Amino acid sequence: MICFYHVTKRFAGDQIALRDVSFEIESGEMAFLTGPSGAGKSTLLRLIFRGDVPTTGQILVNGRNVASIPRRKIPFLRRSIGVVFQDFRLIPRKTVFENVTYLPRILGYDRREQRKLAYGTLRRVGLAHRMSSFPRELSGGEQQRVAIARALINDPEILVADEPTGNLDPELAEEIFQLFREIHLRGTTLLIATHDLERIRATAHDRLLRLQDGRLVGDRMRGEGDPEETRSLPVP
Amino acid sequence: MSFFRAILYFLREASVNLLRSWKISVLAVATIAVSLFLGGFVLLLSLNGSRLIDRWKSEAKIVVYLAPGREPEDLPEIRDLAVRAPWTEEVEAVTTEEAARRFRRSFPSVEDLIEDWEQEPLPASFEIAFDLQRIREPEYGEWLQSLEGRPGVVAVDDDRDWVRQLETALRIVTGIGLLVGTILIGAAVFTIASVIRLTAHLYREEIAVMRLVGATEFFIRGPFYLEGLIQGTLGGLTALAALYLAYGGLSPEGARSFLGGILWSRFLPPIHQIGLVGLGAFAGLFGALISLRKEEI
Repeated sequence: MICFYHVTKRFAGDQIALRDVSFEIESGEMAFLTGPSGAGKSTLLRLIFRGDVPTTGQILVNGRNVASIPRRKIPFLRRSIGVVFQDFRLIPRKTVFENVTYLPRILGYDRREQRKLAYGTLRRVGLAHRMSSFPRELSGGEQQRVAIARALINDPEILVADEPTGNLDPELAEEIFQLFREIHLRGTTLLIATHDLERIRATAHDRLLRLQDGRLVGDRMRGEGDPEETRSLPVP
Repeated sequence: MSFFRAILYFLREASVNLLRSWKISVLAVATIAVSLFLGGFVLLLSLNGSRLIDRWKSEAKIVVYLAPGREPEDLPEIRDLAVRAPWTEEVEAVTTEEAARRFRRSFPSVEDLIEDWEQEPLPASFEIAFDLQRIREPEYGEWLQSLEGRPGVVAVDDDRDWVRQLETALRIVTGIGLLVGTILIGAAVFTIASVIRLTAHLYREEIAVMRLVGATEFFIRGPFYLEGLIQGTLGGLTALAALYLAYGGLSPEGARSFLGGILWSRFLPPIHQIGLVGLGAFAGLFGALISLRKEEI
């Protein structure tokens, strides 16, 4: 589903964000991406939805080579990938309904279809009753759930989340992870970047990838020990 | 999304953008309107002026003034010379008596000026109507010189001289007007580009979300292009309305004056009206295009 082959990302000024990263995530897997701040987690996620291009190497998402995809086809790639950020990225002047229905509007759904989709998706995240609210009227956890609903509204095959609980207190973070588990159970492939090892321990998952200084220093399958141990894996 | 539905979406979003930053939108529309009003004014002046000059050209004559005491029947060779020229259409002999009669008819309030003169105050003449198309240089110039050199002739007045001067003056006025209009249009394009860049900046977070969920560039940029188009069209329509009001309001007074006669004889033809509004629309769209040209909005 997601394949990285010897991916290196170098920014201007010779700053290297990723160094020769290779891994594969199968369809339906729930994977965590961990590592300290500045390890390259966000860059790696951005490469998946073509928020950036690798300097060298290949990235396949659903069999499509993301690095060489023509510009005009990027929107179609992104429609198959839901993205969630730490800072929610909701539009304050838009209601929950409007925030969630960007994609249906783009796809030309009429108002009735949009409401139906929004209701169904918001119900999945437990916010069907807040359709007319504005983001400022919601708690941080609720705002993040709206952002997840926006990412899920098109039933994407892949959901990537970049520190989705970074701005939330532990209880709200647990709510969000519970939501991710439910999404995973419905067959969506998840890749979640977080440095919250406690949460990773408490959440059933299939893969744990660990980045450090742009290198993949750990790639552990389900049940292969404690996440802390990935730190001791040899540098490839 | 169907094209029709996309246009409706663009229209809704562009209207919201315009209303949200209405003050700056009004400024952009006003800038376009002022520049197009000036452009339209110059166009009106130029079209009516050209029409008038064409009419004068068709009525232009050569007048051969005869020496005091000489009448046309005394100088048949002048008439012969005039009639033989290939460009001549008609030769009219104006006697001193006829010249005085014309003066009294044209200036009744000062007719007594010529009453007490001992000799005829106005000279007799030959008025030669000609076809401009048939005039050939240098034969024409030589022919005029031969008329001037004839005994009994005191002066030869060629109407074409002052028609030419008027044409030059009109060309200069039109040129200056078009230059100023072009500069103002440039300013209007710049204003619209700035307004749209500012709007795009205000909406950058929303645009980023749209791009993230898979909106195409057409879908993202469409409302901004339409916003520029609407601003330009409104500017064009405002300019046309102002021009029409000015034309209608000044017409009765203005038409009596010399300049008014030039300016207000006829309003812009429909094709020019459409062109003026179209130019505004194009300027608005162009402003939007250049404002979003390089930017990853």
